[in-house]
Amino acid sequence: MDVYEVFKRSGHKEPFAHAGAVIAPDSEMALIMAKECFLRRREGEHLWVTRRSDIHSFSDESLLEIAADKSYRFPEAYRDVVTKREKAKVRAKEVMAERNAS
Amino acid sequence: MTYDEKLARFNEHIEDGGKVETNDWMPDDYRRGVLKFVEMHANSEIMGALPERECLPIAPSLRRKMSLAAKIQDEVGHAQLLYRVAEDLGKSRDTMFHDLVTGRSKFHNVFHYPVRHWGDVAIIGWLIDGAALVTQAALRDSSYAPYARVLKRICAEEQLHLRHGEHITMELSAGTDEQRAMFQEALDRWWLPIIHFFGPRSNVAKDLLLRWKVKTRTNEDLRQEFLDRYVPKILELGYTFPTPVPYRDADDYLVRDEDIDWEPLNDIKKNQGPETERRLTWRRDIYETHRWVRDAMAEPAVHAA
Repeated sequence: MDVYEVFKRSGHKEPFAHAGAVIAPDSEMALIMAKECFLRRREGEHLWVTRRSDIHSFSDESLLEIAADKSYRFPEAYRDVVTKREKAKVRAKEVMAERNAS
Repeated sequence: MTYDEKLARFNEHIEDGGKVETNDWMPDDYRRGVLKFVEMHANSEIMGALPERECLPIAPSLRRKMSLAAKIQDEVGHAQLLYRVAEDLGKSRDTMFHDLVTGRSKFHNVFHYPVRHWGDVAIIGWLIDGAALVTQAALRDSSYAPYARVLKRICAEEQLHLRHGEHITMELSAGTDEQRAMFQEALDRWWLPIIHFFGPRSNVAKDLLLRWKVKTRTNEDLRQEFLDRYVPKILELGYTFPTPVPYRDADDYLVRDEDIDWEPLNDIKKNQGPETERRLTWRRDIYETHRWVRDAMAEPAVHAA
């Protein structure tokens, strides 16, 4: 018997997501059990199973951290666009007033 | 079931808003159409990285350089996601890449043009990414589900790029006369290509991708959304438009069909744009000089004993 991890897609717009696990002698039985456990009430429209031993991950989670300051990858880094936008509008008004005067 | 019966059932499925997965039965024209469309999108992402790449050395600060580099990396990443979707439809990545660098396949018109200064980065980041976001957001409802799912992730990142581009635009626009002139000069060069970006009016009767809902909206509909959203913002910043100059009609900003010169787009469709040859050569050179990286990564790790 092996542990099979179960992945479920709840709709065509969603990616497969982890739903849980079952214990089964082979992948065919794992799928039947997964269907019974995770699609009892049409909670999704597709299932995958894969042996837990076939899943690879990081043994050291600290390796998942971003190595240096990369704050510019995040929306917060551009939050001051609001004040910049206001300054630009004020500046534009000056420019347009000068243009109209000349 | 005969082919005609399968086709009828497929059409009905699409008509009802049904989605298509890679291993589902689909007509050959659907498969070919989606493949060509996604391949062109992937090509555009990887070629689209180059004009901005050319601007990296002229970034005005280290911070701007790092954020532009991060954005370029995102675009290349989008190409990888999209090539993966296209590959599953039956054309290898190697073949797609070969067709791109030898000029047999196409990429979006805006990436065939030169960049001259930092004003170009503002235009690309704000208006071209803004135009791309209008079209890509509509494609999140595409009938080809693997494409629609990948676009969710791509659109989330494009949203950030748009913010990045607007940030640069607003900094230039609040700045000196010289800074504002840079934006205006870039706008003068890019406006027509941006109008072209959405393509000529769709032929709804003939366009199979529209009928099969791979594309969900017409070219002119998407262009109109872009104009309505961005023209007022550009006017508010005190800039002026070259031909085709948008005019206001009730709540819409329209451009006249007869004001759009399509000749430059026709040249680009033949891969004869101003920068086509140089950029494709550059892309080919990068592919060759980086071959050792791909080769090295294709081998399993060798661990020291």
